[in-house]
Amino acid sequence: MYELARKALKLAEEAGAEEAEIYYAANHSTGVNFKKDSLENAKDRFSEGLGIRAIVNGAVGFASTNFAGDLENAVKIAVAEARVRENDPDWVALPSNGKYPQVSGIFDKKIEALELEECIGYAVELVEGTKEMPGTLPTSGGFTRSKSRQLILNTNGIEIEEESTAVSGFVDVITVNGDTSTAYDFAVSRSLDIDFFALGKNASDLALKSRGGIKIEPQKTDVIFHPFAFSDILEEALAPSIDADNVQKGRSGLIGKLGEEIAVPELSIYDDGLVEAGIDTSASDDEGVPSQHTTVIENGVLETYLYDSYTAGKAGVKSTGNGSRSSYTSPPSVGLRNFVIDYPQEDIIANTTSGVFVNTIIGAHTANSISGDFSVEARNAFTIKDGALDKPIKSLMISGNAFELLKNITGAGFDVRKVGGIITPSIRVSGMSVIG
Amino acid sequence: MKGIMQDIKFYDCRVIEGSSTSVILDNGKIEEISRNFTRGAGVRALCGGSWGYTAVEGDIDLKRGVDAASKLAFSMNASTPKEEVELAAVSSPDVKDLPEVRIDPRDIAIEEKVDLLKSIEEHARIAGVHSTKVMYLESEFKVQYRSSEGLECEYELLNVGFAVSAVASENGVYQAGRESRFGYGYELFEKENVLELAGNAGKTAIELLKAKTPKGGEMPVVLDQELAGVFAHEAVGHASEADLVLEGDSILENRIGEQIASPLITMIDDPTLHEFGYYPFDAEGSESKRTEIIRDGVFNSYLHSRETAAKLGGTPGNCRAQGYSMPVVRMSNTFIDNGDSKFEEMLEDVRDGMYLVGSRGGQVNTGEGIFQFNAEKGYLIKNGELSGLLRDVSLSGNTLEILNHVTHVGNDLKMTAGRCGKSGQLVPVSDGSPHIAISKALIGGA
Repeated sequence: MYELARKALKLAEEAGAEEAEIYYAANHSTGVNFKKDSLENAKDRFSEGLGIRAIVNGAVGFASTNFAGDLENAVKIAVAEARVRENDPDWVALPSNGKYPQVSGIFDKKIEALELEECIGYAVELVEGTKEMPGTLPTSGGFTRSKSRQLILNTNGIEIEEESTAVSGFVDVITVNGDTSTAYDFAVSRSLDIDFFALGKNASDLALKSRGGIKIEPQKTDVIFHPFAFSDILEEALAPSIDADNVQKGRSGLIGKLGEEIAVPELSIYDDGLVEAGIDTSASDDEGVPSQHTTVIENGVLETYLYDSYTAGKAGVKSTGNGSRSSYTSPPSVGLRNFVIDYPQEDIIANTTSGVFVNTIIGAHTANSISGDFSVEARNAFTIKDGALDKPIKSLMISGNAFELLKNITGAGFDVRKVGGIITPSIRVSGMSVIG
Repeated sequence: MKGIMQDIKFYDCRVIEGSSTSVILDNGKIEEISRNFTRGAGVRALCGGSWGYTAVEGDIDLKRGVDAASKLAFSMNASTPKEEVELAAVSSPDVKDLPEVRIDPRDIAIEEKVDLLKSIEEHARIAGVHSTKVMYLESEFKVQYRSSEGLECEYELLNVGFAVSAVASENGVYQAGRESRFGYGYELFEKENVLELAGNAGKTAIELLKAKTPKGGEMPVVLDQELAGVFAHEAVGHASEADLVLEGDSILENRIGEQIASPLITMIDDPTLHEFGYYPFDAEGSESKRTEIIRDGVFNSYLHSRETAAKLGGTPGNCRAQGYSMPVVRMSNTFIDNGDSKFEEMLEDVRDGMYLVGSRGGQVNTGEGIFQFNAEKGYLIKNGELSGLLRDVSLSGNTLEILNHVTHVGNDLKMTAGRCGKSGQLVPVSDGSPHIAISKALIGGA
């Protein structure tokens, strides 16, 4: 399919497209997975395809295919779809004049060269790690490595090709004796720097510590969210309101708030496609706009929303390089890059007299993405007493609002973690409502 | 390669070809028309106790696929040998009674589909609604299955559906109403009163602006068909999937024959129904069949793949995959069967509590048997009557406790189509229930 990308661009022009874009993506991944403590399967996946955006009279058509024989038909359909639509006065143009920054740390030759036996070795390390802590068993998990390649071409002269690699490990464990509790740990990285043994051990340790959970009284208290829990809330309850598309369509809780203080003054948030070795790092976004460092919140003040080239054109601003696609089968839309939470760090648990520490949450995706309201179930939660974790909590519901939360942050830990593209330490929020 | 193949005791291939069309209308304007063509294959090979799996897109060379999967399985088994995997026997499925398609959506011009979406949009945009989104989806695909045991079968399916959402706002408060329907054949848009559904989405959004948020706590509740269906699927259905049971990640492990629920509860999974989770045979070529998961409160059966059926004893038929992914144990059309209570009796019996309606999703921990769901809306029940509307209501608790606290099962079963995620794969399913009453549940507010 790679060789057909240029041909496809030409075909689109011949079919009557005034502007056209070809997005090629290929991915090869190898996974080794376990169930309980035995390796169950090895998977190899090859995925490759082309997405075609065709523009006629300011209207966009889109088609995609992974089969060379369908290419001509797909191109014609994209052009025909554009013709069905009325002129879109908000359409400006496909990106042009791409001058790309250098990014580093996103490709590791060693990952590309991994043999199956080595992949098996990493999966075994995950399992062995859980055995360090007697009394638990892994339920499932695995190791994955992947290599991706993408090429973007358009009729305005954009031509950018990039390659990247990633590895990840995931492990889910359950206690085997007495009170049942579960826990998981995971990590994803651009290079082979993950301690898989430690992931397994951490998950088991957390499951063991979570046994014998107590009930706590409904109350308002300080809650410290581990990076896993905090990134979940950010992604589901806050990020949608920063998306310029939602702002333009009236579906954001941050409409009209540019320049306003929406968070505590110690908090800054950056969206950054250039972070060294970041999971969402690349020279270009998924439509050929150069990646950049964008200050979203500076000292509590909302500085900008995030734009792809369409929403930027509509607002009369420059794209922030947030054109994002989940696959070659969809046209771009606004998506986060590396999302970096910056708050003065401290020994966060030690400096908390009383409250609750929450490792992970379930149900964040049920948050109201416009109002920012969320109600989630906390997992592996502990009471905090005199600056230390005290007792596990059996079941805990936490309700709140993402925008209120930004105004009630009172601390951050030293434990910065890359949770996919979200880079955050543990964050303490005061006055959260919890029901045990 | 020849040496390896002697040790491969089973392999199978699924070849999938298809295309899909989606149209998105945002605030009355076409936001996206897109068409996707796809073909690819997934190949499994079994060596001793290890599976190898290869997925390829585009031009398919099945022989190479089988070789690659076999190599993976062989290497896995060589480096970490373990107990041999047995597979429950299957016979050639009888592919019959597929959902009838009266109006082929491919015969309808794209312009007509756009017009339909526009009228849906107009009906959702009632006074007070300031933002709408309507989505049309159509997909056709052909599945061909072949195994080293000589099984060969295929079927084609054609789905259509739509979803509409409306957002209303007032004084910085935003609320949304949503409706969707999925089925087979373009006649769906005649059978279902889509314009009325669109109006309902708009009305819900506006009503919710005025709704109060509840005070949390423990209380008796009544669940509507949709939310009870989500509970059946998420909390009970997943825990009955035999792969999770074998992983030690289910509270239903070793519970067959035990009373786990109120005797009022009978719960079924049935892929033969022409609901959204329909299939004639699963991703291993096993003919689809109805399974009673719970019968009169007694846990009766897990849901199985060929591997889990051989291990635990049972019948395969619930092994499914999204596209070319490796098949795993999944549900199909899952529901709590009709009882004989009337809705009014439930309210009368509950007296003071809450009525929860619709679902905005939720999550479940099947190992510990706890769950959390957010309802679309709720009503206070006061003196046996519905009163004030509530929003941001969530239900959480312990699955088995809730099942045992069911005091009424209604006679108004209704199914809802959706997509279920597991192991990173989405498959079409439906779930449903009649209204049910529960004597004690934990309600959370925002």
